Amino acid sequence: MFYRKHYFYPDMAKNFQTTQGPVAFCMYGHLDLEVAGEGAAERPDHVATGTDVVAAHDQAAPVVVDKAADGSYTVPIRILMEEDAAKMVHVGGEEGRIASATESLIDYNRCGTPLIELVTEPDLRTPEEARLFMEKLQQTFRTLGISDCSLEMGSMRCDGNVSLRRRGTTKLGTKTELKNINSFKSLHDGLEYEICRQAEVLEEGGVIYQETRHWEPSRKRTVVMRVKETADDYRLFPDPDLAPFDLTDEFIDEARARIPELPDAKRDRYVAELGLKRKDAVQIAGDPDVARIFEAAADGAGEKVVPTVANVVVNLLPGHDAVTPAQVRGLAGLLAEDAITFAQAREVLDAVNGTDEDPVRFVDERGWRQATSTDELAPIVDEVLGRCTAQVEQYKGGNKKVVGFLVGQCMKAAKASGAAGNPKLFNKMLTERLEG
Amino acid sequence: MANIDELTAAQVAAGVAAGDFSAVEVAKASLDAISKRDGEVQAFLQVSADLALAAAEKTDQRRAAGEKLGPLAGVPVAFKDNMHLLGTRTTCASKMLANYESEFTATCVQRMLDAGATPMGKANMDEFAFGSSTESSAFHRTNNPWDTERVPGGSSGGSAAAVAAGEVTVALGSDTGGSIRQPASLCGVVGMKPTYGAVSRYGVVAFGSSLDQVGPFGRNVADVALAMNALTGAGRDPYDSTSQDCPVDFLEHLEDPVEGRRVGVVPQLMEAEGLTPEMRRAIEGACRMLTDQGAELVEVELPNIASAIAAYYVIAPCEAFSNLARFDGVRYGYQEPGCATLAEQSSLSRAHGFGEEAKRRQMLGAYLLSSGVYDKYYYPAQQVRTLITNDYKRAYEKCDVIVLPASPRTAFRFGEISDPTQMYASDLFTISNNIAGNDWASRVRAAPGTGLQGPEPAHLRPCRRARRRRHHARARLCREGG
Repeated sequence: MFYRKHYFYPDMAKNFQTTQGPVAFCMYGHLDLEVAGEGAAERPDHVATGTDVVAAHDQAAPVVVDKAADGSYTVPIRILMEEDAAKMVHVGGEEGRIASATESLIDYNRCGTPLIELVTEPDLRTPEEARLFMEKLQQTFRTLGISDCSLEMGSMRCDGNVSLRRRGTTKLGTKTELKNINSFKSLHDGLEYEICRQAEVLEEGGVIYQETRHWEPSRKRTVVMRVKETADDYRLFPDPDLAPFDLTDEFIDEARARIPELPDAKRDRYVAELGLKRKDAVQIAGDPDVARIFEAAADGAGEKVVPTVANVVVNLLPGHDAVTPAQVRGLAGLLAEDAITFAQAREVLDAVNGTDEDPVRFVDERGWRQATSTDELAPIVDEVLGRCTAQVEQYKGGNKKVVGFLVGQCMKAAKASGAAGNPKLFNKMLTERLEG
Repeated sequence: MANIDELTAAQVAAGVAAGDFSAVEVAKASLDAISKRDGEVQAFLQVSADLALAAAEKTDQRRAAGEKLGPLAGVPVAFKDNMHLLGTRTTCASKMLANYESEFTATCVQRMLDAGATPMGKANMDEFAFGSSTESSAFHRTNNPWDTERVPGGSSGGSAAAVAAGEVTVALGSDTGGSIRQPASLCGVVGMKPTYGAVSRYGVVAFGSSLDQVGPFGRNVADVALAMNALTGAGRDPYDSTSQDCPVDFLEHLEDPVEGRRVGVVPQLMEAEGLTPEMRRAIEGACRMLTDQGAELVEVELPNIASAIAAYYVIAPCEAFSNLARFDGVRYGYQEPGCATLAEQSSLSRAHGFGEEAKRRQMLGAYLLSSGVYDKYYYPAQQVRTLITNDYKRAYEKCDVIVLPASPRTAFRFGEISDPTQMYASDLFTISNNIAGNDWASRVRAAPGTGLQGPEPAHLRPCRRARRRRHHARARLCREGG
């Protein structure tokens, strides 16, 4: 059922906002978050009991928060649907604030479009956790394909609420709300500032007022926008224009069936089934566009090549927006069999970006493929070791770095003789000989 | 062609289709009638002659091209001025919207046009439909065509008067607490408030969203049935989430006999304070006529009906406050010039844009919805609503239709009722049906001694649950009524 929330302000042409009341579309939901450091250390109670009960803001029933064995926490959330307000631009004021503006412009274009609002319980402990939470949320929503979640464009917005309590006590103090958060960094920095500010006020025996504060990124401070002395009377009542409705079990099942693999499940699958490094898996799984190109490139690549595909996707691909999965796969194959260096791979990628060129053919045509057989390289190593006796002595005297010079000599000799080199292989062979 | 005020809608449509006369001739006849009579009656706020002639011409062209014409082809129709029609202003008879140009056409209006109707203009009303006499119009009063010293009823007084004066054949009104049935009764025409949700409210300026319902006026039952078919025939409107399918052919059972039908009377309401003896006699006469034709009278009880007005005057002002909050001089409506601050602009625009009754209802709503008060009034009012709905359900187990007066009295003189609560009380018989969502057709008979008309409404259960035989009963009842 939808409700009307009344307030007289020009950003809402009807002077009421259609929103949800006591029953929202998503209640008692949660988001799993990996947290570490200070915030995790502040949760000894979780470790001791495994669960924590947090009183919900607007629900009579308590919400149970589980702590998973791997140090991740589930953040309890509630999601409701409501309509967006108009965008207001205050001209002539300080940092776009209405208080000192000479005039206000109203853009009604987004007014009335539906949005979802997600509220967390007061369970995030540090600015860093808040930032991680928002990132996770952004990744999840992008994977679901429900929004591009751009803070800059306003398709994702956030307010940060801060309330403190003394260590060892359970009751949270008065909260303040931060507005004008337009990047994850703003969120982090704004919360950090606000926590310090409140702590200072409290330590000096002061009082925190329930108020909305404006984050000024250029001055790195928050300033009061408006003080809430009493709760606003929104005259909330059921919207008589929108008939109440039930989300049927069939609808919910059907919607659930359409949920794609979410980032956490994707990450775990990449690690367990494809043998990816966890760091790479996290990075790829977090961005649906990246995951899509990775999976297409990995499809058909040999089992041993797949981690290299991930390596290419994570470390080389950024900055190349027109590379096909087949090109990624070809390039990863070359790297995996050590046929080209990482530096060469970057060059190849630069060259094939935006073309339909096959990286393998590209490398072969230029004769970039390096030798991969020790038999081919053994005579060159022999020759260099025989010639550079001074360096060999230095190595044996303890200067192991000199091997780099010897690799260089091997490469030069190989080039002079028209053969393909392989610095990595030279290094290995030289070290073996010198140590042996 | 015959005089426009002697033709039924069905006759106009048949005549146009047969080529006996053209739609343009009918439109011109209607315009003539308006120019002759409306100076005295003042039913219209705006006559849309250009739109009317263009629409009529199009109808004639379609006929010339051999196309099949709609069931309302060429029928001159007036719309209450809370319904959007592109090319006209939609003022709600308020200074607040005096210059508001419609930006689209309401579904109910469009469906009438789709059936071939010719749009003659916008009819006067109580400001934002708040009233029972059309006296609260910000522009001018409308006079009862039968006696210009008396009110036409309200809030759809202009629509009822335009039909009664023979200026148009059919008109649309809206009914939140009796605003179609009472003026139909006071002007001596047929009016129908359909079941809530049967007709789309999209494009009709909302007063009480959970109570508002659009319906037609006509000079006989068949015309109203014809209009109802046009309004509901295309099924539910996806633009109004409260609208629903109404799969009923309103013309199908017009000729069925009433014999064997059970007609409910509510003794408790016939004894109600304020019901004039002449009105009571008219109802009794109607009942006698029905029993003469073989209908059976059954006494039914509506135990919670006494609370209906109280519940209504909680729910309706709350919804009105909310629906009218948008008129603050920013995005819509009158804007007070020369204000220094936003707050000043909002409050002065509202203070000078709204009339007394509109302000009274919004202040009432703002108070009733405020925190602490809400639980004491709004919530119990909704519980009363459920009780009344259940009362009607039980009553309809015993009878097919219920007969009630549409108004406690015949048309009163201008200024005769100045106490708002007394005006509210005149909704006694109609209001419970908005609360329960029932449908109701208001039908007239001559009321002795006044030269005016008295009501003989047949009030029926919600059509979504109505079985076919109930529609037999209604259709026959309405037809026999006059």
